[in-house]
This record gives sequence, C-alpha cells and structure tokens, in this order.
Amino acid sequence: SPTDSHIQYERVGADVTMKCGSMDWDAAVTWTANGTDIDESHLNGSYLILKNVDLTQSGQYSCYEGSSWHLKYQTYLRVGIPPKEPVLMCRSNNYPKGFYCSWHLPTPTYIPNSFNISVIHGTREMVCEKDAFPRNRCHIRYLQLFSTVKYKVTLTVTNALGKNSTTLTFDEFAIVKPDPPESVVAKPVPSNPRRLEVSWKNPSSWPDPDSFPLKFFLRYRPLILDQWQHVELSDGTSHTITDAYAGKEYIIQVAAKDNDIGTWSDWSVAVHATPWTEEPMYLTTEAQLTETTSASTSSFMPPPTTKICDKGAVVGS
Amino acid sequence: MAAADSPSAALRRRDLCSRGIRLAGKMRSDVIDLLDAYVERQGLDASASVAVFEGVPVAAAEHWDEQTGTQRLLENLSAYRAFRSLLAQMLEEQREQLGEADAPLGQALAAVLLQVSAFTYHLEELLQLVSPGPPSEEGPGPPLPSHLSLFERKLRGLGVLRELAQWAVRSARDLRQLNKSSPGSSSAPSPAESP
Amino acid sequence: HPHNLKCVTHNLRRMFCAWDFFSKGRHGQTDFCYTTNELSPPVCFKTKEKRVEIPVPQRSSIVSITTNSISGTATKEYEIHKKEISFVPHTPHILSLTPDFSTSTLNLKWNDNGSVFPYGLDAFWQIQILRKEATEKVAQITYYSKLTHEDTILSWNWTSDMPLECTSHYVKIRCYINITQFVGPKDWSDWSPVEMIPGKDTEPHGSGVYPQDTVVAVGSDVTICCIHEEGQQIQRMTYGPETYPMIHLSSRSSAIRVLNASASDASGTNVVCILSEYEMDGTVLFVGYAPDTPQDLTCETANFLEIKCTWKPGRPSGLYGKRGTKYSLFERLSGKNVLCKVNEMNRDRICSFPVLADQKTYDFILNISNPIGQVQSSLLVDLTQRVHPKTPEKLTVSGNSSTSVHLHWFINGSFAEIRLLCQIEIVSGHSEQKMYNVTMWGREFSTYTAQLNMLHPYTKYQFRVRCLAADHFWKWSDWSKTEEHTTSEA
Repeated sequence: SPTDSHIQYERVGADVTMKCGSMDWDAAVTWTANGTDIDESHLNGSYLILKNVDLTQSGQYSCYEGSSWHLKYQTYLRVGIPPKEPVLMCRSNNYPKGFYCSWHLPTPTYIPNSFNISVIHGTREMVCEKDAFPRNRCHIRYLQLFSTVKYKVTLTVTNALGKNSTTLTFDEFAIVKPDPPESVVAKPVPSNPRRLEVSWKNPSSWPDPDSFPLKFFLRYRPLILDQWQHVELSDGTSHTITDAYAGKEYIIQVAAKDNDIGTWSDWSVAVHATPWTEEPMYLTTEAQLTETTSASTSSFMPPPTTKICDKGAVVGS
Repeated sequence: MAAADSPSAALRRRDLCSRGIRLAGKMRSDVIDLLDAYVERQGLDASASVAVFEGVPVAAAEHWDEQTGTQRLLENLSAYRAFRSLLAQMLEEQREQLGEADAPLGQALAAVLLQVSAFTYHLEELLQLVSPGPPSEEGPGPPLPSHLSLFERKLRGLGVLRELAQWAVRSARDLRQLNKSSPGSSSAPSPAESP
Repeated sequence: HPHNLKCVTHNLRRMFCAWDFFSKGRHGQTDFCYTTNELSPPVCFKTKEKRVEIPVPQRSSIVSITTNSISGTATKEYEIHKKEISFVPHTPHILSLTPDFSTSTLNLKWNDNGSVFPYGLDAFWQIQILRKEATEKVAQITYYSKLTHEDTILSWNWTSDMPLECTSHYVKIRCYINITQFVGPKDWSDWSPVEMIPGKDTEPHGSGVYPQDTVVAVGSDVTICCIHEEGQQIQRMTYGPETYPMIHLSSRSSAIRVLNASASDASGTNVVCILSEYEMDGTVLFVGYAPDTPQDLTCETANFLEIKCTWKPGRPSGLYGKRGTKYSLFERLSGKNVLCKVNEMNRDRICSFPVLADQKTYDFILNISNPIGQVQSSLLVDLTQRVHPKTPEKLTVSGNSSTSVHLHWFINGSFAEIRLLCQIEIVSGHSEQKMYNVTMWGREFSTYTAQLNMLHPYTKYQFRVRCLAADHFWKWSDWSKTEEHTTSEA
C-alpha cells in the first residue's frame, strides 16, 4: 500500500521522476515534501520531476489524489553518493596473538553502507571477529607464526548506489607495530645537573615481552631547541640521559619496536623534566657566610634570604 | 626439559641460548641483505609469492607456543641442516651459472652458509645439554631436483632465503622460550645477553 | 545424359575421366568405350562408377558413354583432344616431419615421385606452415627441385619464430611440374594430407614457459610462450620488469614477442607468466653477444717449458658460467689442442700451451666460442724469437778485490738453445750509473756469472741485472733485486 515505508536512493546530481502510484498521468494530484506542498512547476502531469537532486532534497515525498486527498503514494528519498575506495589498515600490536584491521571511508556517502571483510592466508580463509566498538574494526587470531605466505585482506563496502573495495597484501612481520611505551617517567638525578633518569613500561597490549622482547628508541631535547637527540636501547626499560644541558627543561618521548621484526610504534606521550640544579645562595652576614660554606660542603641546605648569582661568587661544588 | 639441570649446565645452556639469539639476529640481518641482493641480481620480483619447494624447511608453525624445548631444538636443527645443504647447492649453482661474474653475491651466499653452519653446530651443542644429544644427520640433505628449470631454481633460491629469514626470527624466539623455561632464569636477560 | 566430361592425367600416360549425370533416380551400369588412336578399334567395358582410368591418347581419343537407367538408355560421344587433358601431378605425401625442439626447426621429407616423369623436369613445391588447428597460415615457401626420373627423397628445414612447444604446427605440401611439352592445361597438385607436430598445449598436463633457459644474440626478436592447464587464465606476462601484450595461440597457450632484445644481466632476463597470486611459471633468457675477435694476440715463453698466449677479448659477451665463452688453443703442426681456463673478469686473457720437444715453430689457432658464435685468430710463432725470461733471482756479489767483483744470478728456465744477453746496472755511491752488457749461452735452470772490473776501491756499489734472448730481441726480463757491495780498500 502507498503508506508502506519505501526508501528510494538517488545519487547527488541525478534527475528523479516519481509517479503517483497507480494514478494516470493526467490525473489531478498534489505532491508534498515533508508535508509541504510542492510547486506545480515540478510536476509533469501527475509525475513529480526533481532535477539534479542534492543532499538537501532528501526527505518524505507524498502524493494525494486531487479531490479526495486520498494518499496514493509515499516514499522516503535519500540522496547520497556511491562509496569511494575505503581506506584499510591492518596492524599487529599484540604480536604474536593476532592482528586487527580497521577501515574508514575517505568521504561520507550520506546513506547507509555495509562493510564486508575477507582475510585469506595462502588458501585458508580466516575469521575476522568484529569488535563491538569501534564498529569499523575486527581482529584475527594468528593460526600460524613465522609464515612466509602473505595475508590478503579485502574490504568491500556496499551501499544502495554502488560498491567499492580495497585489498591489502602483506607479510606477517610487516604489520607488527607495538603500541607506544606506557608510564614514561623522567626524573632529575640529585646532585647531577646534567643527568635525567627516564623509565617506562612495555605497552600493556604486548602479550609476551620475554619471548618477544621489545627494543626502544628514546628521543629528548631541551624545549629551547628543535633538534632531537636519539638513543636506541636494545633492552631494559630505563635509561639515564647524561648529557642534558644543566637547568634546561627537557621534553622526552619513547618508541618501541619488536626486537626482530616490524616497525616502530608511535612516540609515547611526551614527558617533561629538568635536570637537578643547585639551590641558589642568598645575601648573608660574614658569620653566616662562613657557617654556610662549611654547611654546603657537608650537606645541601637551602639558605633563607637574597640570592647571589654573580660570577666569582663561592658556590658549593 | 629431559635432563635435570645442574647449575653449571643451566648456566651453560643460558649462555648458549643468549649467544644463539645473537647469532640468529646477525644471521637474520645478513640473510635479509642477501635476499635483497639475490632478488636484484636474479631479476626477481621482491613481492612475488613463491610456492613452497620440496625440501625447503617451512618456518611457519601452528601451536608454536605449545612446543617443548627439545621439540624446538630438534625442529631447528633439522631445518638448519637442510639449509646448510640448500645453500651449498645454491653456491654451486651460482658458480655453474655465473662463473666469476657475480662474485659479491657468491661471497654473500658463502658468508651466510658459514653462519648457518655455525648455528647448526650451536644447536647441536645445545641439544647435548637438553636431550640425549643431536640426532645423527640422515644423508646429504635434500637433493637439487634436476628437473627444475633455471627460473624455478631462481624461485627456489628465493624461497630458501625467505624461509631462512623467517627461521632466524623463529630460532631467536625459540631460544628465548628455552631461556625463559630454564631454571634460575629471571625474565630479565642474563648479563651474557647484553650486547 | 552423361555430361561435363573431364580428363586429368597425373603421369602423362594414363588419365582419369569423370562425368556427371542429368537423370534423377538411380542409374544402373554404364557402358564405356574409348579409342587411343584412329587405327585401333574401341575398347569397351562396363562400370558402375562415374570415373574411369584410360590411357592418354597421342592426339585425341573418341569416348562414348552409354548410361542405363529406369528412364531408359542414353549415349553420349566425345572427342577428347590432348590439349583438353589437364595435367595435375599426384598429390605428394609427406614422408616425415621431424621437430628439433632445441632449434625450433622442422625437417620435412617427401618423395618427389620423379620416376613417373622424364628426366630433368622442373618441379615446384609449395610448402605451407600453419598453426591454430591449421587455420592460420604462418609461412608459405616455394621450393624448387629438378626431377631425375628417379624417386628422390627431398628434405627441407624450416625454423619457426617461436619454440615448437608453444603450439601445434601443421605442414602440407603440393607440387607443380613444369612440363613444357605437355599441351594441355597444367595445375598444382592437391595439397598433401596435413602433418602435425603437436605443441605442449595439447599434452594433458603440459605446461611451462618456452624457450627454456635459452641464449640469443642481442638484437634478436624472440617469441616466448606460456602454456598452462585448461581453464587457467594468464594474468600477465613480463619480460624483465616490463609487462608485454599477449598473443593468443590457443586456449592453453599465449605468447609475447620481444623485439630487438637488449643484453641481459649476468643472471639472465626472467620471463614470468603470472597465472594467479600464488602461481607463476617462467624461463630465463640470456641475451648476449658472440665472442669479439681477439685483439693483440701474442705468445711468448718465459722458460721454454710453457708458452703463454695473451690477447684482449674486446667487447664482453655478457654470457657467463656454463654459457660463458670457451677458449681453446690448437697447434696445427703438432695437432695438439689445449682448453684454456680463462677468468672472464680479468682484463686480459691468458692461455698456456706446453712447449713441445723438438718444436721451435708453433702455428697457433685460438678458437673462441660461446652459444651465440665463434671466432678464430691465428698466430705463427718462432719460439726463439718470443723469449721473455723470468726475473733473474738470487743475485749475489762476491770478490774481495778493490777493483773487480763477481756477480751470480739464477734464471728459472731452460735456455740451452739460445744465447742470453744480460744487462748489469751499476750505481756507485755518488749516483754515477753505468750499464754493462754481457752475452752468454743459456743453460738449463742455471746460475750465471759475470765479472766486473775497473771498479773504484773502497766504493759502495748497487748492482742489478736483467736479461733477454740475445739473437732475437723480444722483451727484457724485469730487473732483479738490487744487491749492494763495497769494494775493498786499495
């Protein structure tokens, strides 16, 4: 019947013709869009003609018989675009458990799309278990490790106006990319104005660091400079920077990579730290000065008043 | 592990494992370099998928994490013994086909063969510690199928080097598993392991 | 009524006459009579055929054909003049069609049936080579021969532009004999039955890329085919890094055509046939040059034990290993041939030939060959004129006189048959340099001695020596090591 919910999909820019159900061409009818009468100029007899439709013309179109206002036809017009080639990415951040693939459309289609993914390893089709969230992602469990046979992942996106697909072919090792290291901490080293102690943890998503150890890449620079300094660490989750500029605030990041395969993770969250600096000496009387000098050589006490920072001033070593 | 580990044996095994991991790492990077040179010098397509040739040990393993230490070593030993004769065949083939024309590739091949031989010996040493010793070698290894055309031999060579590169990674993992499961090992790598 | 009578002879002696009928329905026996000349009575016989074989008349023949059918009897009489008789040679038959896959050559043998004809007739044979179920003509060649009144087996070779494995090749042949004295019309024989050389694409599991691992000259045009199983599809065929357009040969065979092939790398150029993501087949093509003519071929001996010939190879062939260039040195007088072990990477080539007892002159032919071609270079050598002694060794200086010394040196080699000229260089303390030449008979692996006089007392001297063949200057040896000596005080 005319009131059945009927959706009509049309491409942006298309010319659309709607018939008023079973009414003759020359029958007197009234067309409404979302309840608003449509101007007669859009009618050809009882047919509704929409030229070069755009997104704004999506909506509910109804046709009523002229005299009796009897609803003869109703449809929901959805104007959209066929899907472009989807962007597909596969990655293993929990090697050797498995890998996940995620995808998105480069441009919106404005109409519902359905995605289908197939994962083939040699001649074997593998199951890609859809994640509840995010919905454009699924993950695959490795059935085999150390295989030279490539994986072929094909994602097909379909909507009412068209279909498109993307295929990725890759080696098992190529997509191994850990998550960044976690809990990065940088601390000054007391009495060492040029040192900073940095520590971090393996990404929690990495399942077996013992058998699949990660190596790390540390980069650090004083905020006042643009040039990073780098150091690669083949094991361990801490490092002491020994060439920091005294008194300068540093920004530090760490990246991780499987010891043998794959690519580097993204950089970790940046942490900031400033190397230890001696507390500045304040203006004091002669007596206090001799008393203070002897104190600084034995243990570091912050003096209470004015700061002496001129050259030649006597500073505890 | 089959034999109860005396402290010295455990220490020896961890040392062998650590050195084996480093050997495997070096071997892998050399094999990758050789693979790149081989693909380029033989005019092959680096992205080509190569079918498995008979006699070439496949590194792919299912339920890898469930293997025992002895199983790992035996599988490794069998593979590297095969690779030793496969690489020797490739070297012979290289000389027959190219004579002195591509000496650098021949030298790189010979260098990797040397490393594979060393690693095989290393595995045999390890097996001495964890089981009644390495099995004796059955014959000279997979013969070069004479019916293969030149192009198939090129592909076979590519297949051999690809599998060897994968085995080098697997061996490092196997040895780490062995290290992990050996008594008295902390998860942190032993000093012997630091570069 | 019988009509449309035509007579054809294949051997100038007998002819076949055939006719048609107008009548409907079945016709019974035919009474056939003929005369061979005006004097002899007609010869008659009955036949059910519409074709009879009768002698060829000298000039003409009267023929009467009486046909009996349910609608009655009809007789037709003809006079067949000799010029109305057509001459069509017998359909030839191919005796053998033999493929040589290594050279992609077909060898065709057939019998020319010459015994049927008088001596000396010109015969023309048209040979057609076909492919694609004998539907596509690939080549048509006219081959000429002379009939010798005897049956002669003729043989002919054809080299295909593609490997014979690629697809089935079909051959048929027909003949035309130019009998000038025959007055009637002459025509080509019928085509012989087709002979076929099956391609690999007809074998149930035949597959592969052809030619297999072959060598061709730079600049060649090469056709390379890929044969696959029924139902498979070739995605693409590449030659080196390039994808080439495919030529359809059959449902299981496609080819690419490489024009003006350029030199390949040492490991050859791969031709890959990609059938699917995991399935490919291929072959390797080695594109190189024939050996270049050797430049500056020279031969010399350093010790009368071994002759060393050297030459400049010219342009590299681009072929290596077992396809590389082979060198051999053939000595014509002794008939001795020596294979040379040559390192392709060296700039100069060296080949050694043993000095033969009692042979002074050597007539060398250097043969250089590779799968693409062969060159030779010759050289006539009088060995005594090509002596290039080794460096004098173990130079020692002795003598306790203030004005003279004895020099001793050793030369590795057997110079008994020549005289040696040795040059002694003397450099004294105040860098005054003098040269002394001394000639002596050569000996077998011997030490030689020379005495130098008129030296200055108590003076430090540096001596060194070199030698060459005294009677035929060719090349000096290198200088020996320098030896120092101080003369005693006066």
